[in-house]
Amino acid sequence: MTTVLEARGIGMTFRNGDEQTQVLQDVDLTLDPGELAALTGASGSGKSTLLSIVGLLLRPTAGTLTIAGERVEALSDAQRDLFRNQRLGFIFQFHHLLPDFTATENVAFPAAAPTGGISPAMRQRARDLLGRVGLGDRMDFPATRLSGGQKQRVAIARALMNHPDLVLADEPTGSLDRVAAGQVLDLMAEMNREDGTTFLICTHDEQVAARCARRISLKDGQVEAGAGGGLAGPMRRRAGPVPPGRQ
Amino acid sequence: MFALTVARRYLFSNPAQTALLIAGVALGVTAFVFITALIKGLAVRLTDDVTASSAHVSLEPMTRVARVLSGPDAKPQAVALVSTFQRRQIRAWRSTEALLRSQPTVSAVSPQISGSAFLVKGEAIAPVAVTALDPLDLDAITPISTQIVRGSSGLGADGILIGVRLAESLGLSAGQPVLFRTDRGIDRLLTVRGVFRTGMQTLDERVAYISIQTARPLFRLPEGVTNIEVKLTDPNDARTFATFLHEATGLRATSWQEKNASLEGGLTAQAQTGTLIQTFSLISVLIGIASALSLSANRRSGEIGIMRAFGVSKTFIATVFVLQGLLIGMIGAGIGCLSGFGLCVWLATLTKPDGSMALPIAPAEGGYVAVFLLTTLGAVLASVIPARSAARLDPLQAIQQ
Repeated sequence: MTTVLEARGIGMTFRNGDEQTQVLQDVDLTLDPGELAALTGASGSGKSTLLSIVGLLLRPTAGTLTIAGERVEALSDAQRDLFRNQRLGFIFQFHHLLPDFTATENVAFPAAAPTGGISPAMRQRARDLLGRVGLGDRMDFPATRLSGGQKQRVAIARALMNHPDLVLADEPTGSLDRVAAGQVLDLMAEMNREDGTTFLICTHDEQVAARCARRISLKDGQVEAGAGGGLAGPMRRRAGPVPPGRQ
Repeated sequence: MFALTVARRYLFSNPAQTALLIAGVALGVTAFVFITALIKGLAVRLTDDVTASSAHVSLEPMTRVARVLSGPDAKPQAVALVSTFQRRQIRAWRSTEALLRSQPTVSAVSPQISGSAFLVKGEAIAPVAVTALDPLDLDAITPISTQIVRGSSGLGADGILIGVRLAESLGLSAGQPVLFRTDRGIDRLLTVRGVFRTGMQTLDERVAYISIQTARPLFRLPEGVTNIEVKLTDPNDARTFATFLHEATGLRATSWQEKNASLEGGLTAQAQTGTLIQTFSLISVLIGIASALSLSANRRSGEIGIMRAFGVSKTFIATVFVLQGLLIGMIGAGIGCLSGFGLCVWLATLTKPDGSMALPIAPAEGGYVAVFLLTTLGAVLASVIPARSAARLDPLQAIQQ
């Protein structure tokens, strides 16, 4: 079975003039399909940097990175854009929905932008996803008229629009109240369980980490431990629709 | 095109701000149109004033030039004397006239005898520049008939037409006799047939018209003419046509532009000033667009960052901003052209107490196509800087802001 993510010897050093700051050092990380993993660590431990490297938003200064069987650390910027668009999903602490678009249009955006428009199939897929995240009655609402929790649920649907191999979430509940945060976590767990979507959730919230099947802890830029339990165990199957060419 | 959809949504997400931006562009374009129409109108009026009442090309014999002698026997300062035994005249004027009348660009031809004379009335005496022509061609070059204020334009065998200021200075009126004394020392009693007012002081004070047949004995020119005046269907062709005529006839051909070099210089300076004003108004418009789009890119950095994070290309982001510039430019230029045209049409209706236009504006000459294309193209170029900065946003930094 191909791993979704295989990072080997990842290192990251930031340079500011003569000053060098090593944020990550020799990090090894593997995620299997269908895993729901938490990436935890104290502030400054390097977890956001590691997530950005895995999300191809940063280039590591050392190591190799393989996502869904493809070596990605040497891809060009344009290739990385395409890879992110087609193989990865993102959920950030701040949803950053496009305020001038409806919920459906926001969800369909990642598929529409590279192809030139929202096709009927894309619109239907976006509506299905919105239905699944409990926003069936808000599909045509402008993003500005949604509550914080609803916006984050739209962001989850948007992350899933292109059938990603891996969804990366950076403090996805950080800006939500306890109730909304619980709903968002339930939703990600449900997507993981039912569709077999692999999630890597970066969090400093113990309750969020506890909901994940596996915990990866970072300390001083190195992986401290790699095991864990939780409510949602790792799924080894894909229950949802799989786009052509991804099997 | 999805980028166009995004650009349109961005533009109209804040209608008041977009309306202000478009209004700024429209105002700049209106100023451009007004300046263009005013300068063109002024140029047309000045040119019309000159070309409507004077010849477009004048043909005369070549000037006599004293020739410096050279050769082994000649002294260094030796100069050949110019012969003055023969009158300067165009002897073969009939063939030249035939040539001119065969040209499709020629609208009127007037062979003339021009000379100097004095009008004597009692003790009063006034110098006049005499234009002798075929009475049938009286209006061919200068529309004198329409400017007669007393008497008539019929010259007859002993008639003379004089300007109103000359008539006043000599106390003459239509029907009165006046002694005509040429620079050849010949006197003849002529009758003032008509008095004209052109509005140009020089003409009204110093010019007199007589029949060419009357002039021949008075100026001792039984056959030839001193000059041939030509009008063209398009006065702007005068320079080229003058060159052609000189080569074809060997005569000196002078275009109206050459005769009025100071006018042409003034028009050129005026056009250059206009271009400068137009350029500055366009630049201010473009700076407005660039700064507004830069602010928009900055305000939307979070959205742009998330778009870049989920793989939307830099080209797509840049295209969104360039399309916003294009839309602002097109809409602003369109509205500006319409409002500029409206303003010019309204100004053209304003008149002075004498009934003439208050401003010599030419609404049809507003340079609408040029300003529309320039503004649209400029708006696209102005949007390139914010488009590039938006496309280059680091998604990670933008999201974390």
